[in-house]
Amino acid sequence: MAEMTRRERIMKASRRERADKLPFLHNWRHMQIGWAERECRNRGMGISWARPSYVTRIHDVDISEQWLKKDGQTVYRRIFATPVGTVYQDEMRAPGTGQWHGMRGWNDITPWQTARLIKEPEDYPVVKYIVEHTEYIADYYPLEQAKNWLEDEGVVMDIQPHQPMQTLMIDWVGSEGGRFFIHHARYPDLVEDLCQAISKSREAMYEIGARSPADIIWCGDNIDGVLVNPKLYEKYFLPEYEKMAKICHEHGKPLASHMDGRVGVLKDLIARTPLDIIEALHPPPMGDLAIGEALEAWPDKVIWVGFPGSVYSMGPEATRKHTLALLRDTVPGERLCIEASTENIVSNENLLMVTAVLENAELPLTPDKIDRIEKSLK
Amino acid sequence: MSENKHLAALKESIVNLDFAAVVKAAKEAMEAGVDPNAAINDGMVPGMAIVGDKFEKGEYFLSELVVAAEVMKEGVNVVTPYIKGEGSQKLGKVVIATVEGDHHDLGKNIVSSLLRVQGFEVIDLGVDVATDKIINAVKEHQPSIVGMSALLTLTMPRMGEVIEGLKTASMRDKVKVILGGTPITEEFAASIGADHKAVNALEGVKKCVEWVSVQERRN
Repeated sequence: MAEMTRRERIMKASRRERADKLPFLHNWRHMQIGWAERECRNRGMGISWARPSYVTRIHDVDISEQWLKKDGQTVYRRIFATPVGTVYQDEMRAPGTGQWHGMRGWNDITPWQTARLIKEPEDYPVVKYIVEHTEYIADYYPLEQAKNWLEDEGVVMDIQPHQPMQTLMIDWVGSEGGRFFIHHARYPDLVEDLCQAISKSREAMYEIGARSPADIIWCGDNIDGVLVNPKLYEKYFLPEYEKMAKICHEHGKPLASHMDGRVGVLKDLIARTPLDIIEALHPPPMGDLAIGEALEAWPDKVIWVGFPGSVYSMGPEATRKHTLALLRDTVPGERLCIEASTENIVSNENLLMVTAVLENAELPLTPDKIDRIEKSLK
Repeated sequence: MSENKHLAALKESIVNLDFAAVVKAAKEAMEAGVDPNAAINDGMVPGMAIVGDKFEKGEYFLSELVVAAEVMKEGVNVVTPYIKGEGSQKLGKVVIATVEGDHHDLGKNIVSSLLRVQGFEVIDLGVDVATDKIINAVKEHQPSIVGMSALLTLTMPRMGEVIEGLKTASMRDKVKVILGGTPITEEFAASIGADHKAVNALEGVKKCVEWVSVQERRN
């Protein structure tokens, strides 16, 4: 039988079918460019590339931008003026932002907001107005271009925003000083009302994504059970995933969610979601759920394993040990993909070590096969 | 209403995460002549302790811890004007910061709030705090504990720089250093010479209380 392509491997595993080898891939946003990534890709590493399927048009809202000095630092401000009021958000950008990719600075840091869109209760109706006047329009060019460039080298995912409540929690209201939780406790009606408005407005976006040429529909949720506790997850996330999955599945698209935090406390609820792929799940020491345990808890889901940055920080030997332990924890290696990084740029040495362990991980994995891989590394 | 009933109402309002109830209970307690220090220490603080217990048992989550601390802040705001003199004695002093390059402050803020509830004086330097600024704050405030937080693996090395800075300034043996944040492992904490890596906010605060208690016993 001919060896599978990187794309075939990833998609087979992602559809709960058996690939010839354990798929491993690099996330385009964290990818270095150079000899090491080329060598690793020649040795079987794939790429996942997330791009949007839509553009937005915001009607009857006057949007302006300005750079200003605040506390001696340069801040980028975006102002939204609506008939019901004005809101603004400020962000700071690390050196390299806009000159690199994915709005990331040279050290792979995304811009961070120093003033959130929603600061006070009066801001909720304004933001609701913006949400209700946002139109989603299909634009498949970015996905088609990425597919054309990648072909069999990897998979292209449609990037969807955080779930509505997560949008409020980590984007628009923010968790600094616990602001979101305090707003949710003090002004539950405002928070719920806006959350529902976001959910309704995005129905068109889900449909556009599901009809797109993307291989997978990917929500960048950034779930962490410490912030998104089970009560919130059950009430606000499960119904939204059900709505999304229904549309995606009608068009044959797997639905993925980015969960790179500590999700042990959400384990049983995640099992109840219609999600197909739990993406970026971090095992200990950064996460709190071992991959073997997660596979057992979620028999109908595929896990794309995130590689803990804290292991990478200890160097290639720690990387070797962690990767081998991961293989032993997940025998026979079904329903799995390994991501080289979902967090930061990986050093060449660490990337080569991950590749050295995974390039010969033929499925189904057995303890003997893993022993042979380990011996080959000495 | 007896003093005990006023204190119970304050405690309940914290446990129930009820902003309106804590303000009402605090006002009524002050109007009834309840000692403001007792209102805090025997009413609201026990309420926070129950919230902490519920958190440890998994009945409450971080969101409830945050809201409880905020509810208590409202109650304290009502009773503070009634406190005469210096108020109660502080348990110890803590300098706390999110290290340079990192803007995440949720965990740090929870720890700050809980430390204050426990009676610590907290010098919270905020987020994205340069190593020098932390060292200078330690020189200026002479705390018994330094707390550092990081959520990004990229910023973790700053914690080691602070510890090295404390050594250079001959202050390392005068303070305990506690670290917090998702990517921080015990292995990492040990490798940079920290005293402790907090499992979560409550555990970290307990460790701080333990440290100062041992110190007090020695003194």
